[in-house]
Amino acid sequence: MKIAVILRQVPDVVQELVIAADGRSLAKDELTYITNEGDEHALEEALILKSRHAATVTAVSVGGDEARDALATAVAKGADEALLVSIPLERRGDNHGLAAYLAPAITSGGYDLVLTGVWAADQLDAGLAGLLAVQLSFPYVGGLTAVAVEPAGNRATVHKEFPGGRLGVMEVSLPAVLGIQSAEQPLRYASVSKISQAKRTMQVKEFRGSLPNVEGVHVSRLTKPEASAKADMLQGDASRVAETLVRILRERGLV
Amino acid sequence: MLVGAESERPHEDATADFLQRMGKLPSGEKILSCIQCGMCSGSCPLGYAMDYTPRRMISALRAGRIEDLYRSDAIWLCVSCFNCTFRCPVGVQITDRLIAGLRVDLLSRGVGVPSELATAFERTARYGNPFGESPKKRDAWTKDAGVDIRVVRDGDSAEVLWWVGCFGSYNKRNQKDSVALARILTALDVDFGILGSDERCSGDLPCSSQGEEGLFYELHQKNMQEFAKRKFKTVLVGDPHAYNAFNKEYPRLGTPLPVRHHTQFLADRAPELRRQMRKEIRMKVTYHDACCLGRRNGEYEAPRIVLETIPGMKLLEMPRNRENALCCGGGGGANWLDSFIWQRTRVPLPMQRVQEAAKTGAEILAVSCPLEIPRFEDAVKSAGLEGRLKVLDVSHMVADGMGLLGGT
Repeated sequence: MKIAVILRQVPDVVQELVIAADGRSLAKDELTYITNEGDEHALEEALILKSRHAATVTAVSVGGDEARDALATAVAKGADEALLVSIPLERRGDNHGLAAYLAPAITSGGYDLVLTGVWAADQLDAGLAGLLAVQLSFPYVGGLTAVAVEPAGNRATVHKEFPGGRLGVMEVSLPAVLGIQSAEQPLRYASVSKISQAKRTMQVKEFRGSLPNVEGVHVSRLTKPEASAKADMLQGDASRVAETLVRILRERGLV
Repeated sequence: MLVGAESERPHEDATADFLQRMGKLPSGEKILSCIQCGMCSGSCPLGYAMDYTPRRMISALRAGRIEDLYRSDAIWLCVSCFNCTFRCPVGVQITDRLIAGLRVDLLSRGVGVPSELATAFERTARYGNPFGESPKKRDAWTKDAGVDIRVVRDGDSAEVLWWVGCFGSYNKRNQKDSVALARILTALDVDFGILGSDERCSGDLPCSSQGEEGLFYELHQKNMQEFAKRKFKTVLVGDPHAYNAFNKEYPRLGTPLPVRHHTQFLADRAPELRRQMRKEIRMKVTYHDACCLGRRNGEYEAPRIVLETIPGMKLLEMPRNRENALCCGGGGGANWLDSFIWQRTRVPLPMQRVQEAAKTGAEILAVSCPLEIPRFEDAVKSAGLEGRLKVLDVSHMVADGMGLLGGT
């Protein structure tokens, strides 16, 4: 079984985001990147599958130069192959465009399963996994918390979380694209020396396609969120606070 | 039986490989001198919860059964209090070699590492601090210090280069003590500066004794590059773990640093502190010896000398003091193992310690390690001692006596 995991490099919000002079993009000098959290879970799920079946895991890192670091971490954790897909930041958040760009790289790999996070921190339109499935003509199911592949390798049973604490168990025929919400186990740790070793020894394949003329979303303007109304702090003794609280709840029709 | 014998072979090889690696580290070969007296297991504050106590760990290594140790939770129960190392009659470096070495192996396998600790490592690798805060904001606390705190840049010099540390830089409560120390240094007319956003985790916490060697080497390299760009006579630290890193680990890697813990630095200036005291603090105080400053680095007196410069203050000792002090439970990265340890022990060490402090009749528990502030303050609340026992850093108390805390 061949599994591809898509690892998107997204802006790290620990550093303050700065809007560039054009008013519609982020200032690149100020940015640092991090692997999208959902994609980290997709990698973990792929490595869990690898531990259960004879599978090879290809880490497909999508981003700029920083995407190489994500590949090293993936290899240190147990990925077998590393594929770098370079794409400029301004084209990454548009998942219609990104799916069209990634499709040939995935097709040529002949994968049985394509896993990625069900959501990305920088996405502007619908989830990548579903759009990629359309491009590949594969079935798609997302919001998953567990994946089990049948021994024959042509079908997988997946757990999908629904609102209200409901769990769906469904079957999907392979090849398929799966949107992972969280892996079955906590993310494994890759020690710094293992990552450095992977950086020195891993073989990175590079995919260079021409950027597709597809645009799902056009960004007109970026602004910082505006501060909304401030919170009111209720003062006084407990009975007075309780009275005020009841009055507010009644006034707003909440009770 | 032959199959069984074959399956045992790799274990023995892994054990031999481990012991060989230990032998290459300073005093690592002493593991072989263990006399199985059990002093380590008896003095361990969490030994009762370990399936493999330090003595049993060494015994298992002798039997070629390192795989049993890899499967044991005991490796992650160590809080780096150094009781075992301090007590060992033959000088086995249990904490820094045996436990750290086993952790190195588990970390390189990547599975079974408690997730809170793994997160702290990942954040330290990425941002240079275990909290996941922006490295650019490391010196943001200086804005409200009320005194001028110079950032020593590339090519600049300062008599004293103050290594503020991660807790002192980012933790809201510890920042108050950083401000207090800045004001003391200013009042003492010390030519000092900080590294600002060029400072990173020293590596001792949570890396070296936790076994994240690669991360430690990376931080050591980065920090030494930053030190090399600046001229200074003394490195001043507030965190005993940074003190240990600079005092013991950096020299081991060929880069000695002239380091002083702030309690030592202030003890050297005790007469001057006494002259500058403005206010009596009529309080009963007990001092908690930080494991990393005391048992690990042999400094017991400096904090007491500093406390005694404060007029009116009465110093009381807990029954377990100096080399017998009970650990706060947060050393060597155990600050990020609290829930893991709680699930297996149900008796938090900091809670036991604040109860010991309260029993002396003290109103203040004085500390010299930044971790102890949040750890003991939480324990004071959990133990129902709020309003009866305050937790204060030695530097904070000195600044108070000198009348320097206005506006904090």
